[in-house]
Amino acid sequence: MKTHIFALTLSVIICVTARAELKWDQTSIELHPAAADKQAIGHFKYQNAGSKPVRFKSVRTSCGCTAAQTQKEEVPPGEKGEITATFNIGERTGTQVKTVTVETDDPANVTTVLTLKAVIPTQLEITPTFVFWGQGEAPKPKTIVVRAAKDFPVKHLKVTSSSPDFQAKVEETGDGQFKIDVQPQETTRSIASTLTIQPEGSPRIFYATARITTAPAAPTAPTPPAGQTH
Amino acid sequence: MKFSLACQALILAAFSLLPGVGQAIYFRDKISWQSPIPPSELVSVDQARTWGDGAIWVDARPSEDFARDHVPGAISLNEDQWNELLPQFLAVWSPGKKVIAYCSAQSCDLARDVAERLRKEAQLPDVFVLEGGWEAWLKKKR
Repeated sequence: MKTHIFALTLSVIICVTARAELKWDQTSIELHPAAADKQAIGHFKYQNAGSKPVRFKSVRTSCGCTAAQTQKEEVPPGEKGEITATFNIGERTGTQVKTVTVETDDPANVTTVLTLKAVIPTQLEITPTFVFWGQGEAPKPKTIVVRAAKDFPVKHLKVTSSSPDFQAKVEETGDGQFKIDVQPQETTRSIASTLTIQPEGSPRIFYATARITTAPAAPTAPTPPAGQTH
Repeated sequence: MKFSLACQALILAAFSLLPGVGQAIYFRDKISWQSPIPPSELVSVDQARTWGDGAIWVDARPSEDFARDHVPGAISLNEDQWNELLPQFLAVWSPGKKVIAYCSAQSCDLARDVAERLRKEAQLPDVFVLEGGWEAWLKKKR
């Protein structure tokens, strides 16, 4: 029995002491940028806890929208540093997960994947952002529903159409929701309009598109490509 | 003896599971791995080519990459300039057309994100992601 306990203790000790030389404070960061922010920056801090220098071989990001920078190419024993991951928000919405793959010459931990999660606030949810009519279709109004986020109260919406060929009427349906009825004057020719949606008192502008398409607007069910194996 | 060995193995296995379970509980709301693209939303280069004029190619890479080279006839639509580029894409879209979004490689997620927004926000049907992306297109071109 003593031998068993010794073996168990030894395995636990080996597991605990066998660690990578480059020790990361955290390999996953969640950021909550403000609505006006253009970038979300994550700092992945590390320390070389080993006795040998660790060299970065490569640092790759999963997306062109994210840039990662190392402070140094080689980390001497005991030294601290960080990899800065800068995510350019652009016109992205919702939750974005980007990764940074770090390769080092540390044999115990050659590849480390750092995860940057940015939760971009959605002020207005517009569904759909595109309404269309086929040529010759009856020019009946089509509805766009706008929902304001709970922490982004909207009292009034201002909607303008870039083209006089389309009219947009806004109606508040309560509980932070609005209904925009879009109607074309005619559907005989291919025309389009950009609808500018602006909440009262907010500098942010949202967009929707209305268009008369060249082909008739028959409803189409999504069809998977033929010949694929699922 | 056999029972004792089995016991030890079980104890060791239980110990090795502890850190994993602990991490899963601690990070359960913090890590959100993106799920892979369902096969029904993917299309191969060969299949996409057979669609000919019935498909619109959407280049989801950054505008500089698009300017360097792109699939002939493709339209640039990326999330950096979504509001500016989307109307240009919608101007050529018509019902019945399939949409093929691509980015640089299999590992990139730009095409998936663009495809998702076209499906969810613009409510377009038949939006696919090119398997292997631009790299796969280049390979088949040779």
